[in-house]
Amino acid sequence: MNGVDNELIKKIPGAPVIMTSVEWAINASRANSLWTVTFGLRCCAIEMMHTGGTKTDWSRFGFEVPAASPRRADVMVVAGTVSKKMAPVVKRLYEQMPGPKYVMAMGACAISGGPFIYDSYSVVMGVDKLIPVDVYIPGCPPRPEALIDGFIKLQKKIMAQKIRK
Amino acid sequence: MTVRELLEKIKQKAEIEDSKEDLGVLNAYVKPSSLRSLLIYMRDSLGFDWMSFMTALDMPQENTIEAVYELFSNSSKDSARIKVKLSRQAAEVETVSDIYRTAEWHEREAAEMFGITFKNHPHPENLILTPDIKAPLRKDFSGGDMKRMPE
Ligand code: SF4
Repeated sequence: MNGVDNELIKKIPGAPVIMTSVEWAINASRANSLWTVTFGLRCCAIEMMHTGGTKTDWSRFGFEVPAASPRRADVMVVAGTVSKKMAPVVKRLYEQMPGPKYVMAMGACAISGGPFIYDSYSVVMGVDKLIPVDVYIPGCPPRPEALIDGFIKLQKKIMAQKIRK
Repeated sequence: MTVRELLEKIKQKAEIEDSKEDLGVLNAYVKPSSLRSLLIYMRDSLGFDWMSFMTALDMPQENTIEAVYELFSNSSKDSARIKVKLSRQAAEVETVSDIYRTAEWHEREAAEMFGITFKNHPHPENLILTPDIKAPLRKDFSGGDMKRMPE
């Protein structure tokens, strides 16, 4: 499993039992079954589809299936240009996701408005103006490897969460 | 039909303010009042059965907005471009969406992008834009958080 510290899993000899910490078990379950809302808004979406395809297959790392509904998803991948008309929809779908929820901004457009930063009357200058973003993936568009790298960064972030305040 | 023949024909039907040939296509500026009668004549008598598109141009130096109607004939494969000049302050013209159905959506787009009013349009509401963005394709548009490209 990704990022497993061997210290944390203890096998009891002679019995089908392992011991570990609750925190690690919860975080590991979360990090390795991230269901995605694939918010493909423009050209970056093509690269995202490719990442989910056979060649780079993101299920290998535990991001699993793209969820058919935001109500059973954990992470939203905003891939592309968020227009002002789309902004209420992005926000609404984010609000429908159950917590804990994470957002990845994929591509220059979702990070800052990208090529549309000047003279544009219709583009939201970065999805972080609407919803909190966990991982930013630069590129125009980012390669599938970069998207997977972003996902692994997100998993690291989840593994570092503390259950006790 | 050559450009010259076409021009002679439409001159008898409408007031042509100005005309020129551009890459073999006639560009004719007509008075807004004679636009509808001219388009009906071109569709019914000259075989221009197809409107490729309708759009607009903003000309702040001349203080005009040009509405552009591009026509095409499926039988003779001729094109023609009919333009009307409107004032920027009160851009108003009759709709032609009952003559060419293509114009219906294209006029709605031109209306929201350039702030033109199409009189008697069947669906005068916005086609694409949200109502808070007004006439963004005018050259002097500035609104909301739009940043100008540094010189
Ligand atoms: S960042 Fe580039 S590739 Fe991605 S949506 Fe924007 S323009 Fe398209």
